Amino acid sequence: MGYFEVFLRQFRARLFLIIFINNALIVADWYIVDQVVKLTGLWALAAIVAMPLITLGALPFMTASTLAKPTKFLWQAILHIAPNTANSVGAPKPEQLGLGRELVTNLISQIYQLASVVQTVEQTSVRAAQDLHANFIANSLPLPLLVLDKEEKILYANEATSKYLGRSASELTGQSVYTALDMSFQRDDTLFGWLKGSKGQAVTASHKWERVRIGLPGQGDSLIFDLAAYYNQNNSLGYETLLVLFDHTEVYAQDDQAMSFVALSVHELRTPLTLLRGYIEVFDEELGPGLSSELKAFMKKMDASAQQLAAFVDNILNVAKIEDNQLTLQLHEEAWPSVIETVVRDLSLRANVRGITIKTDIAADLPTVGVDRYSIYEVLANLLDNAIKYSKGTSEIYLTAALNTDGLVETSVKDFGLGIDASILPHIFDKFYRNHRNRAQIGGTGLGLYLSRAIVDAHGGQISVFSKVNERSTITCTVLPFTKLQEAGKTGGNPNITRNAHGWIKNHALYRD
Amino acid sequence: MEADTNTPTNPKRVLCIEDEHFISELYARALTKAGYEVDVQLDGQKGLAAAQTDRYDIILLDLMIPNITGIEVLRTLRDPRQTPRMHARIIITTNLEQREDVRADIEQQADGYLVKAEITPHELVEFLSHLDV
Repeated sequence: MGYFEVFLRQFRARLFLIIFINNALIVADWYIVDQVVKLTGLWALAAIVAMPLITLGALPFMTASTLAKPTKFLWQAILHIAPNTANSVGAPKPEQLGLGRELVTNLISQIYQLASVVQTVEQTSVRAAQDLHANFIANSLPLPLLVLDKEEKILYANEATSKYLGRSASELTGQSVYTALDMSFQRDDTLFGWLKGSKGQAVTASHKWERVRIGLPGQGDSLIFDLAAYYNQNNSLGYETLLVLFDHTEVYAQDDQAMSFVALSVHELRTPLTLLRGYIEVFDEELGPGLSSELKAFMKKMDASAQQLAAFVDNILNVAKIEDNQLTLQLHEEAWPSVIETVVRDLSLRANVRGITIKTDIAADLPTVGVDRYSIYEVLANLLDNAIKYSKGTSEIYLTAALNTDGLVETSVKDFGLGIDASILPHIFDKFYRNHRNRAQIGGTGLGLYLSRAIVDAHGGQISVFSKVNERSTITCTVLPFTKLQEAGKTGGNPNITRNAHGWIKNHALYRD
Repeated sequence: MEADTNTPTNPKRVLCIEDEHFISELYARALTKAGYEVDVQLDGQKGLAAAQTDRYDIILLDLMIPNITGIEVLRTLRDPRQTPRMHARIIITTNLEQREDVRADIEQQADGYLVKAEITPHELVEFLSHLDV
């Protein structure tokens, strides 16, 4: 702190010097004017006054910057640490300093030291803010949290994620999220699809999914969770997508217990059903001829109802198998017309009791198809059953089969009944879909189409619907010709191709079994 | 190849191993009307013993029977060491659903696999008439 006293001393000395010089000049001036040059009167006065005026003008001019230099350097130093200054000048060299050198040097060096400390602190805190690994919230969050970059690769996975997946953060980082988390969704709405849509259109977006699975059911332990995602397009650090997982494995896994419950129930339902169908057949054959036509018709309707019940029990069972990934299909080479004929024959009683005729139009020269006869029968039976249900009041259902432009065998079931409202159409393949406004229309489609889609998917085909309310509905499904199936599966001539049908949609479009 | 139809002098003999009495009654009734000779066994062990006498041409075997499972009976009947002579066709009739691998295994050992709720007695007779016995 002695520096200021030193400066003051030097400053006083300078000031003294300047004033002394000024006064000396004035005295010298007087002496020269009065004694040397010997001017008198007004000339003398003018000459004497001129000197102080000159020195007043010149001296301050010459000395001000020297006196003010310390202030200038201090000002520059302060600007240096002030934020957002464009011209930051470096520290001055000692030679540039004159007056108050010690004071200024000391102060300025302290300021520049302060400046570099501030800079370091700034950089550290920016790095710390960017480093999620140092982020308290991200790390302490008891829920798995993942951050993805623009290419959906994992930038960061918190500790909870590592624990949940049983893989270290270093294993996960850098991997594509789809490879690291082999997710399956309950419907077509997948993470991949949503991100694709958001990237093109939204600046920020968020979405959630329920009952997402890692690992397919029936394939060892799988994790089931709800997923929340946040997407933002312009994050400066490249943190484009945030994912949080809410685990519900225990709760949702209990639903898997449903399989044994279903198996038991199916057996219990089938026993009386066997008897009912047997007795109906006996009465129809042995009592039938003696009955009035009305009672005969009732017998037929009883039979149709029993068949319908048996078919529904099969549906329940198949859906439970699908949920448990236990519905295995064996694809063989089959003649499509023969499959269709069997189904149409079996469903005709149920159609006829409602006054409906099933008309078929099967293209000649259809190639043989690669199908699992039992389950593809279920698909056609469900499509016809739905058509019968929707045919209120109309008398015809058309079933057509032909080779389409993609070389696939395309089968359509068309009814001319109620039709399906546009708001419901996207959901008709969902399990148990019920629209509260259209309860009357929807009754009974909950399982059949869900089952059909899963089976057709597993065959490598596609199912679609077209409908006009109160006019008609057409459901179309495709199956592969056997030759195409062999090519696709590269089975090398193996006539048996095994597939698993399940109701889960794999995460991305690359999935084709 | 068409199977021989039942003739009065050479009726085909059917053993029905089924513990649901009402079901076996219906099946026996339809089969008898079609000219078969039918014996019914409600118990698994007794059914197995009867089958091993090799007196029957067709055996209808339920999977859910008392004292021994249908699968066990099937395995025993197909084991030449335990059943040296067995010329009958064995048809599994069941309302149980199996896992696919179990079902495939059963189908391999038996000559047919029927789900009872999916066929009527007549359809059963129809099915048997196409068996090569």
